[in-house]
Amino acid sequence: MTRQEFIARLRAGLAGLPPQTQTDIVGDYETHFTEGAAAGRSEADIAAALGDPDRLARELRAEAGVKRWQTERNPEAAAAAVFAVLGLGAIDVLVLLPILVGVVSVLCAFFIVAIVFFFIGAVVLTTGPLAGAAAAVAAQMLGGLGMMAMSVTSASILTLISIGLVNALIWYGRLHYRLLKPAIDPTPPAPPAELALP
Amino acid sequence: MPEAVDIQLKKGALDLCVLALLSRGDSYAYEIASRLAEAIGMGEGTIYPLMRRMQADGLVETYLVESSAGPSRKYYRLTAAGRASLAAQTQAWRSFAGAVQSILGEA
Repeated sequence: MTRQEFIARLRAGLAGLPPQTQTDIVGDYETHFTEGAAAGRSEADIAAALGDPDRLARELRAEAGVKRWQTERNPEAAAAAVFAVLGLGAIDVLVLLPILVGVVSVLCAFFIVAIVFFFIGAVVLTTGPLAGAAAAVAAQMLGGLGMMAMSVTSASILTLISIGLVNALIWYGRLHYRLLKPAIDPTPPAPPAELALP
Repeated sequence: MPEAVDIQLKKGALDLCVLALLSRGDSYAYEIASRLAEAIGMGEGTIYPLMRRMQADGLVETYLVESSAGPSRKYYRLTAAGRASLAAQTQAWRSFAGAVQSILGEA
């Protein structure tokens, strides 16, 4: 592979990252080629020693995704980080997906319940003054406020649980992705010789 | 699967090796990559995601050095957190390697 081919594949793999990050990363690898050339190595040599640019791009995207999630805590950043880490093939998606779908559905259901409870509380609170006796008015308004406070608390706890879940997933993925795979096993293993024989 | 063991061992050691290399003196990515590639047989390209991760985690920081020939080089140096991590990982490595060694010796 030539320097141009390597950089082009790397660039294609990095598409979608912030332009500044892309420029930084591509600059690092361009410098690597320049240094290598100065040391008297051929472009093909350097590219082979660097490894597969598509895989490197996936690792770099995962790092960038995790970094973004660390600075901005929002569902979009969380989803981007989780999918980038999954893209490394660190976690078997087929095993993980059913579990993930289950957990996310349960969390969503709890969130919806919390929101519904909040509105019921609001309705109870506002219809309080319509109740007859003075004691009933106070009781109903306090009850409404209580329901609203409870639902806000549950929603906060659910948010903390969701953040913890995303962090745990990212931690696990980073721990298990096979960083050195391309260096040790650059080509898929050949079929055993016995099988090739008639 | 000897291959999986090999990968896991090297992956675990890579962070530690980079930290140890930098503790002996600041260096730039090409030098780190070529020295580690020779010593432990890793893909040179993997050093860049690793350096970015270490920088994001606050273990290393960078500064530019003008070069008389060619582009200016980005040097990496350890931060205080990097030194602390090196000390902790070195200790963990030594006790683990010692335990494995004594078991292998018994066999």
